Amino acid sequence: MTDHPLRLLLDFDACAQRDNGQAPAFLHRRDRKFALTCEQQGVTPGPKRWLAHMNHLSGPGASSSSAEQTLRFWRRINSGFMAAGAIFGLLTMLGLLFYDGGQRINITVILAFVAFQLLLALLTTVQSLAGWQPWRGLLRRFHNNFRSDVSVRLQPVLMARAAQLGGLSFAASGLATLLIMVVLQDLAFGWSTTLDTDASRYHGLITAIATPWAWLWPAAAPDLALVEATRFFRASAGETGLDPVLWGQWWPFIAMLWTTWALLPRLVLFVLAGVLIRRKARHLLASHPAMRALMYRMETPALETGNRHNDAADLPDTETDLTVQPLPDARIVLCWAGAGDPELPDALSTGKSLIARAGGKMTLSEDRQTLEQIAAQLALGSNQSVLLVTRSWEPPTGELEDLLASTRELWPKGTQIALVPLAAHIEREPDAHQVQQWLRFARRVGPEFVTVSLIPIPGAVPDMGGGVTQ
Amino acid sequence: MNTTPFFAVVGHPNKGKSSVVATLSQNDAIAIALEPGTTRTRQSYPLSVDGKILYTLVDTPGFQRPRRVLEWLEAHSVSASDHSETVRAFVLQHQGDGRFTDECELLTPLIEGAGIIYVVDGSSPYSAQHEAEMTILRWTGRPSLALINSIGPDDYSDTWQAALGQFFQVVRKFDAVRAPFEQHLSLLRAFGQLEPDWEKSLDQATHHLLAQRQQRRLQAAGIIAKALKDMMSFQEKRTLTLDQAAGTSDSTLADQLRQRWYQHQRQREQSLRVEIEHLYQHQSIRRQEAELEWHSDHDLFSEDSRKHWAVSRRYLATAGFGAGAVSGAGLDALTLGSSLGTGALVGGLIGAAGSYFYGGKFTLPVLNIGLLQDGLKTATFGPVQDSQFGYVVLGRAVDHWWHISHRNHAGRELLDLQPADYHWLERLDKKSRQTIQRTLDKCRKQQPLDESQQHRFHIAIEQCMAVYDDWRLNRT
Repeated sequence: MTDHPLRLLLDFDACAQRDNGQAPAFLHRRDRKFALTCEQQGVTPGPKRWLAHMNHLSGPGASSSSAEQTLRFWRRINSGFMAAGAIFGLLTMLGLLFYDGGQRINITVILAFVAFQLLLALLTTVQSLAGWQPWRGLLRRFHNNFRSDVSVRLQPVLMARAAQLGGLSFAASGLATLLIMVVLQDLAFGWSTTLDTDASRYHGLITAIATPWAWLWPAAAPDLALVEATRFFRASAGETGLDPVLWGQWWPFIAMLWTTWALLPRLVLFVLAGVLIRRKARHLLASHPAMRALMYRMETPALETGNRHNDAADLPDTETDLTVQPLPDARIVLCWAGAGDPELPDALSTGKSLIARAGGKMTLSEDRQTLEQIAAQLALGSNQSVLLVTRSWEPPTGELEDLLASTRELWPKGTQIALVPLAAHIEREPDAHQVQQWLRFARRVGPEFVTVSLIPIPGAVPDMGGGVTQ
Repeated sequence: MNTTPFFAVVGHPNKGKSSVVATLSQNDAIAIALEPGTTRTRQSYPLSVDGKILYTLVDTPGFQRPRRVLEWLEAHSVSASDHSETVRAFVLQHQGDGRFTDECELLTPLIEGAGIIYVVDGSSPYSAQHEAEMTILRWTGRPSLALINSIGPDDYSDTWQAALGQFFQVVRKFDAVRAPFEQHLSLLRAFGQLEPDWEKSLDQATHHLLAQRQQRRLQAAGIIAKALKDMMSFQEKRTLTLDQAAGTSDSTLADQLRQRWYQHQRQREQSLRVEIEHLYQHQSIRRQEAELEWHSDHDLFSEDSRKHWAVSRRYLATAGFGAGAVSGAGLDALTLGSSLGTGALVGGLIGAAGSYFYGGKFTLPVLNIGLLQDGLKTATFGPVQDSQFGYVVLGRAVDHWWHISHRNHAGRELLDLQPADYHWLERLDKKSRQTIQRTLDKCRKQQPLDESQQHRFHIAIEQCMAVYDDWRLNRT
């Protein structure tokens, strides 16, 4: 395709639209990988190569349909302009050469028409350069896919090319019609104007217009004699006594006039429009926001912070059916891992026969001795309850589990243990979620053996959910 | 020995090891719960640049039986020189032993050469029961750093600091949920200083992380700018056939269009939120977004939003002066300057006056119900004709961006976007104000923006973000 940068731009734009919803981290990884591969192969990672890479990965049939759709739409517009140009060119030339044998065909009219054509052609180009789009509403009626920013910005230059193509077709069709008419009919050209001018001044104008081709085809540059001879006035009807051959000698001039001042400018401007499209497309591609982002992604190292692992759904079961039990009347207190330091609350210290410590800084053998001492106490009395005081915020660990397993072994059957989690400030109740972990622990160890109780705090109401609320 | 630095994050159960890892690895999909034993196996979180790993964090379960492990170690050691060997022997001997699964999981990376990041909770009192596990860690002989995390409201960090100083080379405070980004980098640099070979990798990592954060800010500005343009220029359109037109009254049609317009704008705003969150690697905030809808008072179109996020009349007047002056300057250009600049002055005054009087009303988008044409009737709703709408969207978007960019990945709490009680936008410089006002005007007129305008708009949005950041910083 001739307008390759255009295709590249449209494909790139379509690709950028598709990338819109993608995660930035994915895009960065993908494009950086491509850039590094290019570096290894010793090639520059440009947009063209990138697109080819993307299409290659997508497999056959991956070329963008929206780009194709846009191009097809403009091809249709170009064809429409060409067809319309050809028809209008034919009709216009027939109109200009209308000759019923009475009057001459006025060269001045043809000159004016060609000048008008030239002006229109130049205006079209200027309009496209200025970006003025008076026909935008009309375009939107035919094609509503112009929401894309790139398509909107391309419209002026694409439209200018279509218009120049239409003009070119118009001029070519007009020229063909002229030549056919010259062959088929005897056309009588003359010049006429209301202005007070003489043949020499008119000849001067004609000579100036014919300058481009006078050296190439002298017959197409009328001399003063012909100009003098072919002036006519509509008022002086009838024969002028002039040789009829002279009326026809103007046709090479007309043909060259049309070719040089209508056809050629259109051709040049059509080519220029093509160049402008390429330039615009290149410029739009270079300044495309997605292009800047792509270049950044290709140039900047892709940083992975280690966020691929996902176990958010793998949370432990935090439900429990156990509830806090009233504090049993026990005479033995065992403090676990420093709980109750520096002093135990009154509810746990007054009227107790034994207050022992285990865990924390104690050694395992000291723990064992403590358990044996408690076993001896339990064997003596009738009260089979032991309060195991813990720090509510330190979660129950395997060591506590081991201790409870030992108590089952060492203590008399039927002994009940009440876990008493204390808050960091003993005048307060522990947080509900901290009490919950102890309830779940009791469930794991065996609720027939271990229960959870809280020391009564004045003003606190036991929470039925397991915790306690103020 | 492995030359790539790697760090095992170890400690007592439920002290925020996973939170530290989640924040440093920017991973909000790590299971974190106020429940001991949430982490059951060790898990690696490598930070890599172009596939090259710069460092790895290893999240581990907490110690379960430290005294028993220490007893074993002491029983099998002859002198201090064999401590690390004895730890290795312990792990080898107890692989597959259900009682020591957690200890094996956490000690394995250490015998493989990992640095120690020991995490404690500074909001709970120091307890000597941690000494057994700290001693085990010292036995490994690995470079170590202790982190005082803060889970609850109390602060016992001073006693912790004194105790930890006896066991660890470096002791740092680091609140995994609230620590600002600069502290993340400083902590990583501290990791690098544990061993000379690690410093370069960690320096590179912090350099890349900083660059990534700066780039994210730019990207966020671009995303917000795009959403603003979309929302300001959005028009809801409906074409009815003759039969449909006959069966629908104009007021019903208007209601339907209005509802669809509002719905679309809300959806667009939601997609903006998600885009910003994904940009900052927050993937799980969405379920908290559902909670957001509960805050109906702060919804996009409520009068309350307008009060909080819209700008004052005085603001609009200054922004409007700029916009008006530009059109006036255009008049000067047309008259080739023969108006001697009066065009700019007059235009400025008209613009300012218009903005001042107009600014008080939060006018609804334009409703346009066309006449029957070719058997079809077209009705449109929007674009919104009041630039205050843009300021509301902008204010909310920048507020959300700020919360997301300052949110650590360990955060699991609800993202509560409370409305600002101050018109922070009024601190914005004049040029940015004018750029924003002009762009919003162009968008609502559905005029295309050229490249330089878009660029200026992005810069102005970035400026807004900087102003908001500054305001937040100085507010607290």
